[in-house]
Amino acid sequence: MKVLVVNNMAPFVSGGAESMAAHLKTHLEAAGHEAEVLRIPFQWEPATRIPSQMLMARAFELQNVDHVIALKFPAYLIPHPRKTLWLVHQYRQAYDLYDAGQTNLPDGQIGDNLRHLIKTADNECFQGARHIFSISDVTQKRLAKYNGFASDVLRAPINDPELFAGGPSENYIFAGGRVNAAKRQHLLLEALALAPRNVRLVIAGPPDSVADATRLHEATERLGLKDRVRLDLRFLERREYAAWVNGAAAVASLPFDEESFSYVAMEAATAGKALISTTDSGGVLGLAKHKETGWVAEPHPEALATALGAAYADPKRTADFGSAARACWISHNITWPATVEALLS
Amino acid sequence: MKIALCSSFVPFVNGGYRNIVEWLEIVLREAGHEVERIYLPEVDAPDLLFKQMAAFRFVDLEAADRIICFRPQSHLIAHRHKIVWFIHHLRGFYDLWDSPYRGFPDDTHHRGIRDALWAADTAALGEAKQVFSNSQVVSDRLQRYNGIQSETLFPPIFRPERFHHRAMNDEIVCICRLEHHKRQHLLIEALRYCNSPVKLKLCGLSSSTDYPAGLRQLALDQGVAGRVVIDHRWIGEDEKADLLADCLAAAYLPVDEDSYGYPTLEAAHAAKPLLTTTDAGGTLEFVLHEINGLVTPPEPQALAMAMDRLYEDRDEAQRMGRSANARIEELNIGWSHVLERLLA
Repeated sequence: MKVLVVNNMAPFVSGGAESMAAHLKTHLEAAGHEAEVLRIPFQWEPATRIPSQMLMARAFELQNVDHVIALKFPAYLIPHPRKTLWLVHQYRQAYDLYDAGQTNLPDGQIGDNLRHLIKTADNECFQGARHIFSISDVTQKRLAKYNGFASDVLRAPINDPELFAGGPSENYIFAGGRVNAAKRQHLLLEALALAPRNVRLVIAGPPDSVADATRLHEATERLGLKDRVRLDLRFLERREYAAWVNGAAAVASLPFDEESFSYVAMEAATAGKALISTTDSGGVLGLAKHKETGWVAEPHPEALATALGAAYADPKRTADFGSAARACWISHNITWPATVEALLS
Repeated sequence: MKIALCSSFVPFVNGGYRNIVEWLEIVLREAGHEVERIYLPEVDAPDLLFKQMAAFRFVDLEAADRIICFRPQSHLIAHRHKIVWFIHHLRGFYDLWDSPYRGFPDDTHHRGIRDALWAADTAALGEAKQVFSNSQVVSDRLQRYNGIQSETLFPPIFRPERFHHRAMNDEIVCICRLEHHKRQHLLIEALRYCNSPVKLKLCGLSSSTDYPAGLRQLALDQGVAGRVVIDHRWIGEDEKADLLADCLAAAYLPVDEDSYGYPTLEAAHAAKPLLTTTDAGGTLEFVLHEINGLVTPPEPQALAMAMDRLYEDRDEAQRMGRSANARIEELNIGWSHVLERLLA
């Protein structure tokens, strides 16, 4: 089948959904289909131009395409008789972010009209879709709440599971992925200062800003943790990153109110590593279950310190939690072949 | 510089229209620029044309320092620093109006669309800081139909150093898509009039199986099957370089092509003489009769004489091959010139 993946693009900015679209293309081809990605430029500032961007997506014509998989607003408005949505997100500033007071839509009648326009076009598109999948529970709930459409959750698989084969513990706790305030690596450092002396921590990943990196370096210095922490704050090649995961005693992931399972937790579970997370980490808790697949602590240093210590107290139990994390992950059957099959059904 | 390369595309259809964009993208990146490639769909149906043109008009690429537009109707995109490297019009509405290729009736309705299209194209091209074309033929059309002055900027091929001259065997090769309008059948028909034992090799993929099957049958009917190889498949770049390195000459006989065509340029990089016809369009901007190749009427007997001549006079063939190679520089075909002009 000739499958066109339709996505937005912000010119000269590469986001997560772009790499998801590229991986989807690769795995469609692996399943024996022809696949190509259409990237439609989307400019949402000023907000009064949003209608023109919606009109643009609706005015394009497709030929020589058997099936469309569309990911984002407004790209998913492109007409095609066989269109499946894999909803990463809608225009949130017209929905939940509007309710939260975080919108770029103007006040008053103009803003109300824009929201009405977006919602009406969305509803029409959702009505005509062959199938709607949501990338997460959160996206699914929003779609039901604001537009009244049911959808099935279809989480994005990890892209290179073969890299996460696991391995013996080299006695460090690993925290990988992007470094910023919401991912709360700083909280891990505060906890480490209160944890038994034998606990060691590796934090590796790209900081969002210089300030995010400085904050961790300063905390390490201030808390006297230099000999127990390794900070490697840069973008890591996938193999470097996987090596850290595979050698960890346990993997910590404590993002604030994460929408999805988070790649960090999914990759750790694939490698059979026990998970350390916090009670307010949202989607991560789908994989991190207290005293089943790891430890879920209150989001403050004392409670986290106890969890860090527990991971070292009984290595056999920690390894068992890791195996349980892997089993939990596998039970979700989130793989590219299953995803491709669902998206084409 | 942040440069957006804009073109239209038909999903899952590859070809030269993508090469010019994607090769430029690589070369621009190597030169240190940030490049975003934007392919937007375009269907040529007359009644769907204007709404799609509106879509192109709504594309917002303010984040780019400049945009370079290729295949129609990407030149409709508005930008404060728009460069157009025009590769063809929607030809059914232009030079092919009075031809079987129009594909819709000559009536008031379609004349209305045509007139509006000409006006919109002219206005959009007029917005550009500079318009380049890929050949003199296309420049002439821009002048004639839109009153737009353009500079011819011949598209180079990617990594031309891959091509080289190694030997001259007894084969004339034709490496391009096997399609009726590329006229491989004329070469087979010519073979039976040849007095020399010159051979033919026709390689390339076809959009259908009919034309290659027809070529095979033709070779049998003409009694020349033993002297022609028909290789119906995609030829990889390394294999192409090998074929051109060893052949006697390269033939390329498209009907009224828009530009000289990549096959012409590839053969010239391998310093091989070129065989083409008087009606091949842009190809004739490169190939000069008896200087770097032979140009004949599109008839089997005339082609046969030229093929014999290439076979029998190897010194002349060698000399013309060298001239074909020199012609590349003469026409200033190269990436450094392209970058210099597009980024001026």
